[in-house]
Amino acid sequence: MTEANPPIEDRTDAELLAAIAAGTEQAFIDLYARRQTDVYRFAFAMAKSRSFAQDVTQEVFLNVLENAARFDAAKGSVRAWLFGCARHVVLDRLRLERRWTDEAAEEIGEHGSEEHVLLQQRAVRLHAAVAQLPVEYREAVVLCELQELSYAETAAVLACPIGTVRSRLHRGRALLAAMLAEGDEGATPAAVVGEAAALRPREVCS
Amino acid sequence: MKGLMDERELSVELAELRSALRELRAPPADEALLRAAFRARRQRLVVAAGQRVDRGVRRRYFAAAAAAAAVTAVVVAAVIGLIGLGRGAVQRPGAEVPVVAGAAAPEATVATAFQPLMYSPGFSPSAAYSVVRVRIPLSSFAVVQGTTVDGTIEADLLVGEDGIARGIRFNKADTLLVSAASE
Repeated sequence: MTEANPPIEDRTDAELLAAIAAGTEQAFIDLYARRQTDVYRFAFAMAKSRSFAQDVTQEVFLNVLENAARFDAAKGSVRAWLFGCARHVVLDRLRLERRWTDEAAEEIGEHGSEEHVLLQQRAVRLHAAVAQLPVEYREAVVLCELQELSYAETAAVLACPIGTVRSRLHRGRALLAAMLAEGDEGATPAAVVGEAAALRPREVCS
Repeated sequence: MKGLMDERELSVELAELRSALRELRAPPADEALLRAAFRARRQRLVVAAGQRVDRGVRRRYFAAAAAAAAVTAVVVAAVIGLIGLGRGAVQRPGAEVPVVAGAAAPEATVATAFQPLMYSPGFSPSAAYSVVRVRIPLSSFAVVQGTTVDGTIEADLLVGEDGIARGIRFNKADTLLVSAASE
């Protein structure tokens, strides 16, 4: 890294991307350090598998290496661009691996106090329900609720109108609520999804 | 659908899941892999840029290099001829070469080229490798059950920067094979 470069906190994502395109290794590592958690958590939330999330994160940042120069700031933020890349990789892999929800639940954190374990069990149960959602709703729930993207950012990632994001999120949340309630009564989340199949959106975003 | 969960309750649970996910991050080893990928790509780009030299420039370069090589060869031949004449004796082909007493003839130790190892990640022209000389018991090569071969064989391992061996070559293989067969 050249001495003239400002510290990582002072450099925007777009500046880091430009430096990556120019061949600066440190910029690549800085961007990875700053954004890998976003990509990793998104992939993990979508597929409920650490190895899957790891592979997706690697692939996304390899894509960054190849395509850093193609980033267009006029089309959105670097974060949204990375989520867009991650989304394509996730969907491709889900399609290839047919690994929707059949993997055993992976624990999210470490065991601790009793209260922590209870919270963790609830989180695992909810995550299992999220992973059972149809992928269109899952994307909206993961991006808006778990990654805390705005509707506009989510719409940019999903290449959809904001209204579509809102409706998907609304339906996704309704499905989740139904799945969790039915789960308490003994029905499996998959059964609830099957029952709610009529709620699937007709429009398909690229 | 019956028994819909309370919206507020769902929001609370989603917030819990969100905070649980905050603990997650990719393993630190992945950064090293990406760093290596970055360097490999940069190397590849440098090589590709070198190959994109304009053809005309390249032709002129080769013509100039060939001319320089020819001039150098003529000059070297002339100098060698002059030195030989000055000594009054030019070594003829077939003439005996004096042997220095006690000096051992250089031994050709390398018997094979590097062979790729099974299940290794493979070679990359842009990567750096180290050669490590090892001694391997011949018994580890026994392919026929029940046979035992004593002794060891000297081999060179081609080891990548990650510490994984990519290839192997054997030294003095002929001698060992002959001795093994005669036993």
